[in-house]
Amino acid sequence: MEYTKERIGNVSTVTLILVLILVLIAVMIVAISIGVVNIPFEKVWGVVSYNVVHTLTGIEIGDPNLYAKGATYDIVWNIRSPRVFLAAVVGMSLALAGVVMQATVQNPLADPYILGMSSGASLGATFCIATGAAALGGMVLGRFTLAFFAFIGAFISAMAVLALSSAGGRTTSVKLVLSGTIISSLFGAFSNLIIVTAADAEEIQELTYWMLGSFASAQWYKIVVPAIALAICIIYFTTQCRHLNTILMGDEVATTLGIDLSKKRKIYVIMTALLTACAVCFCGVIGFVGLMIPHIVRAITGNNHWKLMPLSVLVGGVFMVLADIAARTVLGGAELPIGIITAVCGAPIFAYIMIKKTYSFA
Amino acid sequence: MIDLDSVAIAINKKMIVEDVVMNAEEGQFVGIIGPNGSGKSTLLKAVYRVLKPTHGAIFIDGTDIRQCTLKESALKTAVVPQHSYSSFDFKVKDIVLMGRSPHKKSMEFDNETDLNIADECLEKVGMTDFADRNFSSLSGGEQQRIVLARALAQQTKCMVLDEPTNHLDVKYQLQLMDVVKSLGVTVLSALHDLNIAAEYCDKLYMMKGGHVYTYGTPEEVLTAENIKKVYDVDAVVEENPHTGRLSITYISDRTKRMRAAKE
Repeated sequence: MEYTKERIGNVSTVTLILVLILVLIAVMIVAISIGVVNIPFEKVWGVVSYNVVHTLTGIEIGDPNLYAKGATYDIVWNIRSPRVFLAAVVGMSLALAGVVMQATVQNPLADPYILGMSSGASLGATFCIATGAAALGGMVLGRFTLAFFAFIGAFISAMAVLALSSAGGRTTSVKLVLSGTIISSLFGAFSNLIIVTAADAEEIQELTYWMLGSFASAQWYKIVVPAIALAICIIYFTTQCRHLNTILMGDEVATTLGIDLSKKRKIYVIMTALLTACAVCFCGVIGFVGLMIPHIVRAITGNNHWKLMPLSVLVGGVFMVLADIAARTVLGGAELPIGIITAVCGAPIFAYIMIKKTYSFA
Repeated sequence: MIDLDSVAIAINKKMIVEDVVMNAEEGQFVGIIGPNGSGKSTLLKAVYRVLKPTHGAIFIDGTDIRQCTLKESALKTAVVPQHSYSSFDFKVKDIVLMGRSPHKKSMEFDNETDLNIADECLEKVGMTDFADRNFSSLSGGEQQRIVLARALAQQTKCMVLDEPTNHLDVKYQLQLMDVVKSLGVTVLSALHDLNIAAEYCDKLYMMKGGHVYTYGTPEEVLTAENIKKVYDVDAVVEENPHTGRLSITYISDRTKRMRAAKE
């Protein structure tokens, strides 16, 4: 199974990865060009490539007066790009977290939120928005306040699940899933308690929008943390493909093939929890992507993580950028929460994949 | 090669296995027999480190297994567990290649050598034509042979098998046992078929209620008296004129009643 020789259908895996990277870039350019004012693709490409290279390396690949000034520059780089880049990063993060979580709990129906992170993040956000913690925290944390509370909520829930599942013996996949359900309902109840007792109508609306997810408030500063988390996780989990494959064979088999499952599970859960929390805390709980994307890709590549993981990550990015285009164009001027789009687009695709016979989980 | 020193195993504070001393010399084929619930599988699970003994120690190749990482253990001992269920499907070839995992660093891809080893192992179990099939599309017996091929791909000095001939047709029972026997590695295997045990094992441990009831050569262990005491079944043990091995014939209560009625 030399990587370059490994094939999916008639195409080598590496070719497919390269093609998908190009597709992702193309989709992002299209997404940036679409808006109230449509901007030609070549202008978008010029501005984005100039600024990406300039930000990362300091090298100027063109005329700064053309690419780093003026109305086009403002719209492309300061207004639209952050949103599209954030969508791509979050899409990739959720897809990666989904792939890893499905292997970690050996359940093809797992998603990044299975450890209660969505309800944890929601509780954090609710606490922040509805109790006046925002004003207090805002003095210290400034614009990161809401994200901070959501992150803490998500991370606390994941750690609570991990602690609960390893109490009284080793962590098994069933205990992880059950603990996730327990913590989810508990945190959900706390959120509802705060909403019922403390929130006014405006705060409830704000929360509803937050919980369904949106990239509308994307800014460059919001991308840094999720992007770093994504980069670290991609590097780490690429080294874990072999183990992830083996874990899918079940606890006993993985153990006899030399994998310390208890330890690996804890590391994987902590890494995916961080990754998911970083994604969720800036743009709310976007459902379905982390469950659906790995599934769709699985139907094409099979369960081998050497293929499944890179392709899921890229497809996740492409899908989220497309979904975000829909979110801001379908209603004309108004914004639709992206969670609605991901579910509405995802459900039929998912149903088709499930009915298709080549589907590869037994 | 494999040594168990007064091993006891409790699950949920209930003693399943107690005070078991067992030994398999290098190259020996050692069988563990005994009725359902006698602790065979539990004992083997401790050997392949899914369970931890509550007392005693297990040595493989002279080293206490607690001193080894799981990866080191996987390089010494390959396991064919009783049945493995997974909700995820893989190509047969990929499953056999998983047997190469303990030999690999985490970022290392399988190379030509690994592929050749996997092919050889598939050939040994007679499953070459199934390499590109999905594991889930195979019958229980075929799956068992693939799992054996995966264990072979580990290329270890010891093998632990838990009732490996379950689900297999007669032909493949014999084929599987022949393959394992021909490897010349140290084997510790739970077996439910006493005729198979008599045919292939150099040494047998007969278990009852979590203890070793008796052990020795098949001739010493497989007597009508022991079978009656441990399995509560009447049997006739004789030398099979065709094989020169022991042959065990069970006599059911129904047969006994019918005989009594005739007389």
